[in-house]
Amino acid sequence: MLLFIALIPLLGALLPLWAGGRRGRDVSVWTTAAVTAASLALLLWLSPVVFDGVVLQANWPWLPQLGLNFTFRLDGLALLFGLLITGIGLLVILYARYYLAERDDLGRFYALLLLFMGAMLGMVLADNLLLLLLFWELTSLSSFLLIGYWHSRADARQGARMALTVTAAGGLALLAGFLLLGHIAGSFELSTVLAAGETVKNHPGYPVMLMLILLGAFTKSAQFPFHFWLPHAMAAPTPVSAYLHSATMVKAGVFLLARLFPVLADTDLWFYLVGGTGLITLLFAAYAALFQHDLKGLLAYSTISHLGLITLLLGLSTPLAVVAGVFHIINHAVFKASLFMAAGIIDHETGCRDMRKLNGLFKYIPWTATLAMTAAAAMAGVPLLNGFLSKEMFFAQTVYQAAAGGEVHWLLPLLATVAGIFSVAYSARFIHDVFFNGEPINLPRLPHEPPPYLRAPVEVLVAICLLVGIAPAYTVGPLLAIAATSVVGGPLPPYSLAIWHGFNLPLLMSSLALIGGALMYWQRRRLFRLGDRYPPPDGKALFERGLNLGIAATRRLTEGLENGSLQRYLALLIGVALVAGVAGAWQGGELTGDQPLPPVDLLSLLAALLLVLTTGLTMLWHRQRLTAIILLGGVGLIVVLAFIRFSSPDLALTQLTVEVVTTVLLLLALRYLPSDALPESMPSRRLRDAGLAILAGIGVAALTWGGLTRPLQPELAEYFLATSLPGGGGANVVNVILVDFRGFDTLGEATVLVIAALGITALLTGGFPLPIRSSPRVVSIEERWPLLLRMGARPLLALTLLLAAYIFLRGHHLPGGGFIAGLMTALALATQYLAGDFRWTTAQLNLDYQRLMGGGLALIGFTGLVSALFGYPFLTSAFTHAHLPIFGDFEIASAMAFDLGVYLVVVGAVMRILLELGQANAEENGWKP
Amino acid sequence: MNHALILPILLPFLAGISLLFLKTSSMLTRRLSLMATVALVPLAVLLLILAGDGGYRVYLLGHWPAPFGIVLMLDRLSALLLLLTALVATPALWYAVATDGDRQGRYFHPLFQFQLMGLNGAFLTGDLFNLFVFFEILLMASYSLLLHGGGRERVRAGLHYVILNLTGSALFLIAIGTLYGLTGALNLAELAVRIAAAPESDAGLLRAAAVLLLVVFGLKAAVLPLYFWLPAAYAHTSAPVAALFALLTKVGVYAMIRVFTLAFGLEMNAWLLPLGLATLIAGGMGVLASRELRRLIAYSVIVSVGTLLTGIGLDTVAGLSAILVYLAHTTLITAGMFLLADLIVDQRGHTENWPAPPVAQLRLLSGLFFMGAIALAGLPPLSGFLGKTLLLQAASSTPALPWVWLIVLGSSLLVIVALSRMGSRLFWNMQDVATTAVPVSVRRWWPAAALLAAGPLLMILGQPLTDFATATARQLLSPSGYMAAVLATRDLTVLGASL
Amino acid sequence: MLNLAVTLAFTLLGVALLLTGWRLWYGPTTPDRILALDTLYLNAVALLVLTGIRFASALYFEAALFIALLGFISTVALCRFVQRGQLFE
Repeated sequence: MLLFIALIPLLGALLPLWAGGRRGRDVSVWTTAAVTAASLALLLWLSPVVFDGVVLQANWPWLPQLGLNFTFRLDGLALLFGLLITGIGLLVILYARYYLAERDDLGRFYALLLLFMGAMLGMVLADNLLLLLLFWELTSLSSFLLIGYWHSRADARQGARMALTVTAAGGLALLAGFLLLGHIAGSFELSTVLAAGETVKNHPGYPVMLMLILLGAFTKSAQFPFHFWLPHAMAAPTPVSAYLHSATMVKAGVFLLARLFPVLADTDLWFYLVGGTGLITLLFAAYAALFQHDLKGLLAYSTISHLGLITLLLGLSTPLAVVAGVFHIINHAVFKASLFMAAGIIDHETGCRDMRKLNGLFKYIPWTATLAMTAAAAMAGVPLLNGFLSKEMFFAQTVYQAAAGGEVHWLLPLLATVAGIFSVAYSARFIHDVFFNGEPINLPRLPHEPPPYLRAPVEVLVAICLLVGIAPAYTVGPLLAIAATSVVGGPLPPYSLAIWHGFNLPLLMSSLALIGGALMYWQRRRLFRLGDRYPPPDGKALFERGLNLGIAATRRLTEGLENGSLQRYLALLIGVALVAGVAGAWQGGELTGDQPLPPVDLLSLLAALLLVLTTGLTMLWHRQRLTAIILLGGVGLIVVLAFIRFSSPDLALTQLTVEVVTTVLLLLALRYLPSDALPESMPSRRLRDAGLAILAGIGVAALTWGGLTRPLQPELAEYFLATSLPGGGGANVVNVILVDFRGFDTLGEATVLVIAALGITALLTGGFPLPIRSSPRVVSIEERWPLLLRMGARPLLALTLLLAAYIFLRGHHLPGGGFIAGLMTALALATQYLAGDFRWTTAQLNLDYQRLMGGGLALIGFTGLVSALFGYPFLTSAFTHAHLPIFGDFEIASAMAFDLGVYLVVVGAVMRILLELGQANAEENGWKP
Repeated sequence: MNHALILPILLPFLAGISLLFLKTSSMLTRRLSLMATVALVPLAVLLLILAGDGGYRVYLLGHWPAPFGIVLMLDRLSALLLLLTALVATPALWYAVATDGDRQGRYFHPLFQFQLMGLNGAFLTGDLFNLFVFFEILLMASYSLLLHGGGRERVRAGLHYVILNLTGSALFLIAIGTLYGLTGALNLAELAVRIAAAPESDAGLLRAAAVLLLVVFGLKAAVLPLYFWLPAAYAHTSAPVAALFALLTKVGVYAMIRVFTLAFGLEMNAWLLPLGLATLIAGGMGVLASRELRRLIAYSVIVSVGTLLTGIGLDTVAGLSAILVYLAHTTLITAGMFLLADLIVDQRGHTENWPAPPVAQLRLLSGLFFMGAIALAGLPPLSGFLGKTLLLQAASSTPALPWVWLIVLGSSLLVIVALSRMGSRLFWNMQDVATTAVPVSVRRWWPAAALLAAGPLLMILGQPLTDFATATARQLLSPSGYMAAVLATRDLTVLGASL
Repeated sequence: MLNLAVTLAFTLLGVALLLTGWRLWYGPTTPDRILALDTLYLNAVALLVLTGIRFASALYFEAALFIALLGFISTVALCRFVQRGQLFE
């Protein structure tokens, strides 16, 4: 049942959206009202038990590990807030129907309102800290959307963002606080937490936790210095201001203080933090309210001030202060909501909210004016109205505190009276400025009485003000009692809800406040001058300035870091690798192992020297691209020799073919680079880069040295040597590793090759920008394609293909294999394109390289799949020996098919890349694909 | 041996090959590509159920026993990431097809399939060098996908990505070479055993290699001094690719978790926690500094990486399980946001300009944006809250508590501020003119909506998800089971099969 | 006798390597360097043949053959680029 109280509006939020779109406004309003009424009815239905002192609880586990569960409790406090939320909610819904203009999207408004209502109900009913937080944030979010409801207005957008920023920041602090609290109390369930008061207060984490939670509460309830968002939230439609920003949402903070009262309150820290903040807010906002010219601004600051009052009362921590606080929550919600609605009516009827222009409205709207004045009187604390009662209780509490001694003694009642004076003064201003004080000035239109439905909610609320004010004990008494009981967490001391307590100090203070306020208002001109000279600080401007400064700073920093310089990113990458590598290696161990180094012969030394030379020159002349490529060829060749020297013919062959293919590729790619010399970088940059490069080189050398001076771990090698022939059917272990032991890697790399070919094709046909270059001079065919080259290339093709076939076939047993054979074939084919007319050669060869590589890849995959047919894992190899008359004994191995796939992939992919790169060259000369 | 293990690799592989024989982006191509991608979802679910029993599934490729051949290895973590891949890939691909994005260049579909192959392979392999190979596959495909469609900015940012990652690959090889030279092992389980047994004199070099791996994975994951390639690249590539790339940084994170929990143990955490926190700060500031939506989301990717690293760095079951929950959330939501951003730009023009004409589907787009923003910012009641709060709780019993809380919550605030500014700018600050944009059909917006639905869904399914994540974290932090499962195959005596 | 010849040849080849290296360095023109690279290929061929003789292995002859063949293709490509500024037309 409890779940539904919150769930009905949350789910019901969809109804007005649906109704607003299709049906009229009235359907929209009635569905919304019905949803709210359902929640209210549920509450009322459950309330008798609560009045008997029972705490209703319900729980459904949701995320026990996180500590977040759907647990709800309905006690006095929750009931009180629930009734306020749904009750005032109903009135606001009615009010909004007539307040909002025809062109405003009523469906969206009501949906958001219901969303908010559900969140608020969920929050007050939550019996789990995290659940409470969840709904808490939901109220912030829905408030954001509601403030920004008239989103074409800049002030609405700013106000909404500011409200969200402040309350969300508070929400995050609250999250941290709750987590700490839950950690300390051992549970997030309120029932457990509320019982752990002593443990919590004695825990060393208590101060931090308290401050975090208070941050959350104070931002939400607009306590100084976080109050500044609330006046700007008044950009929202007035029903929203009345509902969220005076009656309910801003009470969430004080609700939280009340809710956690048994756990957190009654410590010195609590007293000073909560009481102090409340007091400052009370005074400051009351003072600021007086100087507002905007009707809603005045009400907003007055709301802040009253929230400060409630906070102060809760800070005082005595049970009677709590009673007063809770009482004032009710009273304030009632009279402030009605005042906002009245202000809305005035705004609605006149199109103006400036109290310097709004004068003398009484004679135009006497009935509304009477209602507003009554509510304002309640705000000022005039007897026979509800505000008087709670204010009197407040004064009594300050006196009690003073009498109890302590450091603050007489200051508290004094300041309370001062706040009362201000409060009376701004209430007087509200009444006198708007309804009397001469004639209206330059109003957009002269008001007349609003439609009765717009006024009805105000009438209801003012009636409550009067009823409570006159007969408190019979109206609000029981509710107040159970609410305060559940806050205090124990029986309440006796108190009397009467209007007349005899002549005493609080009465004197009330009278002083009334008289002082009237005097102050009378002398307002002088005061306004003072206010103009020393205006209250503008929180919004400070906030905006701070935020803009912050954003500018993050922009500078971000753009400074992410400056689009590839050189910098690379330097960072290599630098980080270097620093990290060194830091890692520094932590112990030795660089040099115990493997002795083999002797060095002169020729190897010479080759090494040549390697160093060519490498160095390549680096030095890398800007002269062609020279660099030639030198790179030299580097590659020496590496090939090194491989041969150290008995790895397979590697040597691979390196060799790769080397030549690379040369051709680089020559083709040169076309895509600007031919002009690049600008030299600054000397400092060059120094940095050189240093990094040298250090990185040393680093890699050190790693290699470390590996080389250690004995090989022989296990894998021995296994491969032993198993290659019997298990893999090949004597060439390198090849068996490639196509069998680690055939899956080869499959992967073959795929990489295909992807590269596809990628290059896609990139180049996608219009990769070519640098502009003068085309080569037009020359004779003979000079373009020399006869000797053309004729020489053809036998070369046959020869190379033959070699490739040879290399391929023997690969399983002797150095060679599909990869090398494929590269050789590709080179032979490339030579044909190179030697003759590109067009002609393309036509003659007529090979679809895409299908070739696709087919190769398919063959690899297929070979792997066959084994699966026999129940073996993917890529399991098989071989057998066969005999043919002429060829003699030979071996058939599945690895052969695999290797053929590799061959096809290599030929297809390399040719594809070469031709794609070369095509641009050819196209420049008028060739069309 | 369960052949289902190889299917997540084989399916996109074969699909990719088949697509090579079809016309680029013809109807048939699209259908085949979509089918192959959608099929990954039930497959991944199957594997998830399989892995859910807490066991390890080993697949010996070529029937060679570990550590001699290559093994695939399925545990909870792999299964989780496989499922995420499938869940992101399907809507992304659909979106590409629905918006004709696949026709803006050649070979979109085969490249997409090979990308999936690389991702799935990286998540499944149990071999360090094979991991390198799959990194190559996924990187090579990602290079092309990133540049798909061309355009000056895209090519520029994309080339940075390509060159940096090529350098990263070189570093990866150096690290693998060093490790192999010292231990003689490539199989991860074997490597772990060897490293544990390595003599003290090898410790420095081994650590250097490990740290190099960290740098490589950190580059992929986009960690603080190495992430600068990401914002521009992600902001300028096409939307479906950006959505898919929401996964790509997670590969780096995955590799860190996998390799470090298995082979290097506790040592790496001293590095990861401060790195993660620093990345979080930088990412949060980047989010706030972003002038346009795509870049903002790109920076939120960096925020998520920072969060993930922080969680790994805590080195507790709670921390690891928290970020696994977060991982699922951030991947899906970020991907959804990238798609949504495209829809928004489509209807109102570039997000850097305002006020702009109103979008045609205000409620739909702003609703989705609001949902995504809440999830991204980690506010309740959506999924971001779950992961973030779990992480905060995990940190609460460690000495790092104040830092983690301050920075995680602080960056959340930056994200909230940035998103509220962006959202109000996009949907509230509009020119007072009638929209000229054409509303899009459900065909185009469901992918974004489906991904963003993860926000509420992961929250509703929070408990099973958290349970799974906790079990995964337990499994990861007691790697002996993994080693035992893989190395048990050593005694397999069957050598090849004769016909 | 053969040993002496082989050793002598190795020595001379070492000198040739040095000289080729110097040409690569000194240039001064691009064709000079291309020629130097081509010569380097030739040196490599000779080196391999000699090694083959020294170790009496046929494998090295094969390797020499490949280097000769592929070196030719590389040289052709380079020359073509120098002459025409592009490879295919």
